Amino acid sequence: MKEILKLGGILMLVTAIAGAALSMVNVITKPKIEEQKRLVTQRALVAALPTADPDSIEAVTQNDQLEYYIGYATAAKKKIVGYAFIAKKYGYSSEIETMVGVDTTGKIIGLKVIDHKETPGLGTKIEEIRYGESSPYFQDQFINRTIDNIALDKDNGEIKSITGATVSSRAMTESIVEGFKRLEQKLDGFKKPITTQEQVN
Amino acid sequence: MELSELFIIALSAIFINNFVLMQFLGICPYIGVSKNMDSALGMGMAVIFVMTMASMVTWLINAFLLQPTTSNIFYLIFSPQEPPDLTYLKTIAFILVIASLVQFVEIVVQKVSPALYKSLGIYLPLITTNCAILGVALLNLEKDFSFIESIIHGISAGIGFTLALVLMAGIRERLELAPVPKPLKGIPIAFLMAGLMSIAFLGFSGLKLN
Amino acid sequence: MPISNEFFKGFYKENPVFKLALGLCPTLAVSNSLQNAVGMGAAATFVLLCSNVIVSLIRKGVPKKIRIPIYIVIIATFVTIVDLVMAGFAPDLHKSLGIFVPLIVVNCVILGRAEAFAGKNSVAYSFIDGLGMGIGFTFALSAVAVVRELLGSGKLWGFPIMGSGFEPVLLLILPPGAFLTLGLFVGLFNWLDNKRTTA
Repeated sequence: MKEILKLGGILMLVTAIAGAALSMVNVITKPKIEEQKRLVTQRALVAALPTADPDSIEAVTQNDQLEYYIGYATAAKKKIVGYAFIAKKYGYSSEIETMVGVDTTGKIIGLKVIDHKETPGLGTKIEEIRYGESSPYFQDQFINRTIDNIALDKDNGEIKSITGATVSSRAMTESIVEGFKRLEQKLDGFKKPITTQEQVN
Repeated sequence: MELSELFIIALSAIFINNFVLMQFLGICPYIGVSKNMDSALGMGMAVIFVMTMASMVTWLINAFLLQPTTSNIFYLIFSPQEPPDLTYLKTIAFILVIASLVQFVEIVVQKVSPALYKSLGIYLPLITTNCAILGVALLNLEKDFSFIESIIHGISAGIGFTLALVLMAGIRERLELAPVPKPLKGIPIAFLMAGLMSIAFLGFSGLKLN
Repeated sequence: MPISNEFFKGFYKENPVFKLALGLCPTLAVSNSLQNAVGMGAAATFVLLCSNVIVSLIRKGVPKKIRIPIYIVIIATFVTIVDLVMAGFAPDLHKSLGIFVPLIVVNCVILGRAEAFAGKNSVAYSFIDGLGMGIGFTFALSAVAVVRELLGSGKLWGFPIMGSGFEPVLLLILPPGAFLTLGLFVGLFNWLDNKRTTA
């Protein structure tokens, strides 16, 4: 019995030292990790809302749940240039998460894939930038589209799916349509009030 | 929570994201214990059991000790201003829990059913360092599974592991008699077989489950 | 045995992956690109080095009965440090290695070296052993990764190498390619061994 207590005590001591060491490391790395997470979102927002002032993008939450982002033209936050939302859907082997930006008339102005773990060489082409080009060709197809004409060629639409990665292409396309619909509902449609606000300013 | 969701989790863990053939978890026992069918089955059963237990226990540890929520036990006892975020201790907490769990299971099985201990016993110590166990605990956390979902995921990951192990054992028993080139005998040919099986399992990933 | 032997044995004679068949999970899982392989190799080497040194330092005070749990706690501590530092300073690598960073804890190479070497040898030898084994592990991972990335996606370290006419063998990037490549590598090492012993 005495031996068990002694061994237990030693193990406790070792674990306590380990815990203390880790909490010290955690204090140093925690702000850094949070900063990195913030940067990922920030970069995606800048890509989704290229016309907005990068420092004047506001998150809209409801019951602590993120609903969408509002992008303003200037730091004064008077003129709204667009909204951004996160579209999610399970693709081939992972959830594909995309930040999508639309302007006040309901036209896509930018998008960026935030997270996915699709098959290397196939599904990863949703992010591939071809040689000599500056942006991913698959994502470029969404720019300037409205909710009415986003559909994959395989579903009688105009978005050209990636050869060998139909599932990933479809998941991303459908996630954008679904997210778009949700945003439209939240904003009560892309209609006059927004543009009148613009004119007032 | 819908039953169909649980079914999807199970099917995906067994076939589509098979732990061994698609996610490379638990390769050491897969190669080491697949030489004959009996030990493969014994190992498989031990892994299913420990994985299920580990899923439950680590879920509880994570929810009530590590996550910064108001139901965190440390928060309830010491009532600091903010619930402490101890998620950075997850690796060390999980591996300790799994190691003690395996030890505990070993003692209980030995006392309760000597027969079962005889068939599972020798595999239990090996399980602590089986990355599939820690892997299932970490994946439950990463995928944000609920308690029930974690258990289902644990059981089916174990079943998927057993399936791959038993299939491999069946093949390797026959392979013993096959004229394999000498440098490829043993581990290399086992890997090549695993590669072919993995190609077969690749076919499952086209399944659309929703 | 001269100390240099302790260093070089990890490359060939006792290569943890190709010869001892240890640490197979990460070798298979993160060898789809050279960048991932080197990142994982460096992380594992760091953990191996630190745990070997600490285990060797305290080897006389550790009660035999609880040495394994103590080793595991030491290893888990260094793994968590790597995990946190990587998340803070190399987030892309951290993301692509995924759960295989915390899973370094159960990498049998590390516990194996603590038990078989560092628990019995002096600090200097343990340090060299850890370094050699770590580099040997990294070498094995990189070897598999070079084949898979080059033939599977026509790139190396992310840069396109093979000309535009090259049709990548996609299978090699997918999970089966990992098993096939590693199997052939282990076979190659066996073959080299046979040739040496018969010659």
